[in-house]
Amino acid sequence: MMQIDVDRAVCVGAGQCALTAPDVFDQDDDGLVVLLDPNAAEDPESEGGTAVRDAEALCPSRAIRVTG
Amino acid sequence: MTACPLGHGARVLPADSMPTQPSALFARWRDADALVPLDFRDGHEGLLVTRYDEAKEVLSDRRFSQQPQRMPRSDAQLDDGFPGGPLDDAGALAVASTNILGLDGEEHRRLRKAVTGRFSVRAGRTHRPRIAEIVAEELENLIAAGPVADLLEHFAEPISIRVHALVLGVSDDLVDRYAQCFVHGAPPQDRHDLLREAIEVRRADPGEDVISDLLANDDLSAAEVEGLLHMLSMSGRDTVAFMISTGTVALLDSAEQYRTLVADPDLVPGAVEEIVRFCTMFLTVFPRTATEDVEIADRTIAAGTTVSVSTVSANRDERRFEDPDAFDVRRDARGHVAFGHGPHGCIGQQVARVELDEAFRALVTRLPGLQLVSTGQHEPSPLANPVATYAARPVLVTGWER
Repeated sequence: MMQIDVDRAVCVGAGQCALTAPDVFDQDDDGLVVLLDPNAAEDPESEGGTAVRDAEALCPSRAIRVTG
Repeated sequence: MTACPLGHGARVLPADSMPTQPSALFARWRDADALVPLDFRDGHEGLLVTRYDEAKEVLSDRRFSQQPQRMPRSDAQLDDGFPGGPLDDAGALAVASTNILGLDGEEHRRLRKAVTGRFSVRAGRTHRPRIAEIVAEELENLIAAGPVADLLEHFAEPISIRVHALVLGVSDDLVDRYAQCFVHGAPPQDRHDLLREAIEVRRADPGEDVISDLLANDDLSAAEVEGLLHMLSMSGRDTVAFMISTGTVALLDSAEQYRTLVADPDLVPGAVEEIVRFCTMFLTVFPRTATEDVEIADRTIAAGTTVSVSTVSANRDERRFEDPDAFDVRRDARGHVAFGHGPHGCIGQQVARVELDEAFRALVTRLPGLQLVSTGQHEPSPLANPVATYAARPVLVTGWER
């Protein structure tokens, strides 16, 4: 099962996650990452899984970690 | 000139780059090494990062500092179009206390966080309807300026400055002066006088915008409010306009690319990513200096060495992008570093994406027969900023019924 962790302490609010996987990530009023659904992409092969992996790769501050 | 310790000779940024066609020297440097020697204006001998992976590494590694702010040497002419002049003490303090590109770590984070919320994906979505209206109005102005008209002056620049004013909260009656100050260029005192007027308007009549947020933030001094507004005004004044106009050149240089978007405007969001990759504006971004010895690409960058990252070169790195010199709107160009990378990456990139999306969507749907007449973007570009960025040049287009 895929585990998603976000680190708001290093997030710089670039918004690539909210753009790429809007069902999984959002930005709060300060623009920092919010994880909407930690279980959004249980199947790493699914479309949602691909978007989450893309969001991880596109994050400019390495604030997203996907494991499993 | 002293010889470089690596024996390659000292190097300067070449003067023969064009916004859609970087100097061939970048490809040769990239081929030779991920890091090549580069001279800085103060005589320092530092390094240029030529490749994609190493560019991302340097830009996200906090062992590199934004200080000192050295500028790379270049053979290109510098023309920022901004007259100098005196500035009162309050303005000087404002600028000095918010030099966000010269700050590291928590100091930088505190100032950046004060405005990040107004540049989120959600903020871009909220602004999209008004941005679409502004684009539609400026498209009519472009057509009215024809039969041959400069797309930079009559479309790209007005969109860029009006959306900038919208997001920041500069009131409508000040927009013409705002454009004069931050697009065409005005002395520092004129710019700060205008920004203070804009701040007072919002103090009396707060809105959903950056200025109102800054004023409501008890953590910020008056100098920081004025300084952040100045920094944000200087930062976006030319980039979106450059990208709309240069992207149009790229699309029309190969008419097949423009026709592809005419046939399927839903390809525009992907095309925007390819446009910013292919037309990347920063030959180098603000330099970083190693605060300790750092290992990058199997070599040690000694503490004190200044490193400039070429986002132009990184976005043409054949190790990351297949056939990188081909402009292809169907390519998945995401992951480019056109907006920079790491903690200092472009704060306005999500609003910029909406602007570019609406601008190109309007062009391909309303002006399917658009043609390029001539453009200064097909000539070696002067630098608009010593860091060093391309300057925006006229883009004459035609192809519509008045």
